[in-house]
Amino acid sequence: MINENDPSTLTTSGRLLNYNEAIKDGLQTGLTFTKLMDQLIRTTDADELVSAATQLADFQLDSDYVTFPHQYSNADYYLLFMSRMLELHDQGSQVILQSRDHREELTQQLTTLGDRGTFSFRVESSENGGVFYRERATGQSLFYLNLERKMFRFNSHALTQLFIIDLHETVPAETVKTSVQVLLDFARYLKEDYGYSVDFNILDAANRQNYSVRAADLPAGIVDRLFVTAAKNDYMLTNGVNGNGAEIALDNNVVVDIFNNQLEGQPEWVLTVHDDDQKISWFDVLLKYPFMRDWYLENLTDLEIKSDPLVFE
Amino acid sequence: MENQEQQANAADALTQVIAGKLDYLSTMQAAVQHGDDRKIYELLDQVRYYQEVKKTRANRSVNHLAELVDNIHPQISHYLSDNLIDYLGHIYPFFYYEEFTTGMFHIYFGNWWDRRLFGDLDVINVRFEFDKTEYQKLRDSFGLEGQGQRLNTSKIEAVSAESEKLQELVDAQATRDNEKTKLRDQLKENSGKSSMPWESGKVKGERQEIIDQLTKLADEDEKALNAHKQIKENDDKILVLSKEDTILNYEKQSIRDAFDDFEHFEAHNASLYADYLNSLLGKSEGEVTVDD
Repeated sequence: MINENDPSTLTTSGRLLNYNEAIKDGLQTGLTFTKLMDQLIRTTDADELVSAATQLADFQLDSDYVTFPHQYSNADYYLLFMSRMLELHDQGSQVILQSRDHREELTQQLTTLGDRGTFSFRVESSENGGVFYRERATGQSLFYLNLERKMFRFNSHALTQLFIIDLHETVPAETVKTSVQVLLDFARYLKEDYGYSVDFNILDAANRQNYSVRAADLPAGIVDRLFVTAAKNDYMLTNGVNGNGAEIALDNNVVVDIFNNQLEGQPEWVLTVHDDDQKISWFDVLLKYPFMRDWYLENLTDLEIKSDPLVFE
Repeated sequence: MENQEQQANAADALTQVIAGKLDYLSTMQAAVQHGDDRKIYELLDQVRYYQEVKKTRANRSVNHLAELVDNIHPQISHYLSDNLIDYLGHIYPFFYYEEFTTGMFHIYFGNWWDRRLFGDLDVINVRFEFDKTEYQKLRDSFGLEGQGQRLNTSKIEAVSAESEKLQELVDAQATRDNEKTKLRDQLKENSGKSSMPWESGKVKGERQEIIDQLTKLADEDEKALNAHKQIKENDDKILVLSKEDTILNYEKQSIRDAFDDFEHFEAHNASLYADYLNSLLGKSEGEVTVDD
């Protein structure tokens, strides 16, 4: 009996046929790949773009019989995807994709930020899948993206470390804001056009956004500190509307609340930022008000806004 | 006969007294029905009313009728508080009231973070019952203003100075370590010295001196070890003190905005009863007139 899986049972021509089939398969995989690459690079249809990127995200180009010596990593397709997505929304000029001369590897810069930051994706090796968007010099993972699960999660820790701390001295706040806006827009397109579940975290400007702080049971002294420092800066921390927290009115009707969101049981302290146009996020407040920034950073251990614990440890 | 007459007189007298009380109560009732708060206040304390509002010198005899409503003071207070707090809101815009139980009001100063519980409002007597400690702090803090100081300035300076010293102790650890090595060497040298009888006193003295210095350094080492904890505790102390200063500053500012200075504030408090009742006189159209 001939068993196709057992070469010893095959005739010579049978073996050659199998070999030939395997090569054809491998070549076919290559062809499919080039089609997807074409699609990823050229399509002007956002749906096709997402579809190509999703398929390329975990594409296995090599087979046992056909291997390709020159390959980009899967992470690079994400960069390409991000650039193209922005391009389709007329924001292509806001990122610069750079390729190396002798290696198939891409990196990206945010145009306004220039060489202050170089970014690439890193594939998550665990079975969760997905990729982290990292600043290469500092290793800060600004967001997590999973095309298959349609998930997008910003990371408050990395955004704070990179933009509020590391680049604070050298990059003007306005530049930081426009740079981060690019990332924000990318996430927004995925959410609005493809129904991604997106956690904008400290970048979320919606008034209803509750930013949970790390110390769910916030020590009282921390709010006291804000009270004292605010007074020194001619702002008054008042009793919160609901009586279980504090409130500070900044300029242009921007109001920050810090309060315990749970009336009973386990406390859960959160921050909120309210403004008439819902355009101001906690991140914006940190950029604009040095005394709020100092207060936040001095008490970061307790105050750091939580990111999705399933993605960022 | 005489007995009967006496009995009749007694009945008459009692009837009159009861009539007086009924009259008092029905006047009070009418005043409530007509929303005539001024009249109610007059009935509650006629002596004070005539002294402070009518400014009549004639002493009115105390008739004790007001005692009739003693046990419904909470209800009267609850009722009267509505207009009184409205009035107070215009003059003392920085006070907030909380009716913690029927007719009983806590006063909070300001609406800033952790504002102070400043005392109680006595609605029946139109009087602030300020918390003595809190009030004294405010008074002192106005007093210190002339010297450009806040209530806790010197305390904060003292604690800061202590922290600075502790930090210096921590920073000087290396210097101390060097010094200790030197002293220990000296100590060895000292004990190696052949002590001639006439020298022994001197050697002993030297030795003691070295040991004393080493002990002093060891004490400093120990302090430096606990310094971080102490500095952290000091930071907490300073926070409490600066918070209190910040609150007092807001209080002073509020008083200045409304009364220019503390003296005017106190003067207003002193004449509050008369001022309030006079303000009611102006608008008491549905006033009940009663012969007296």
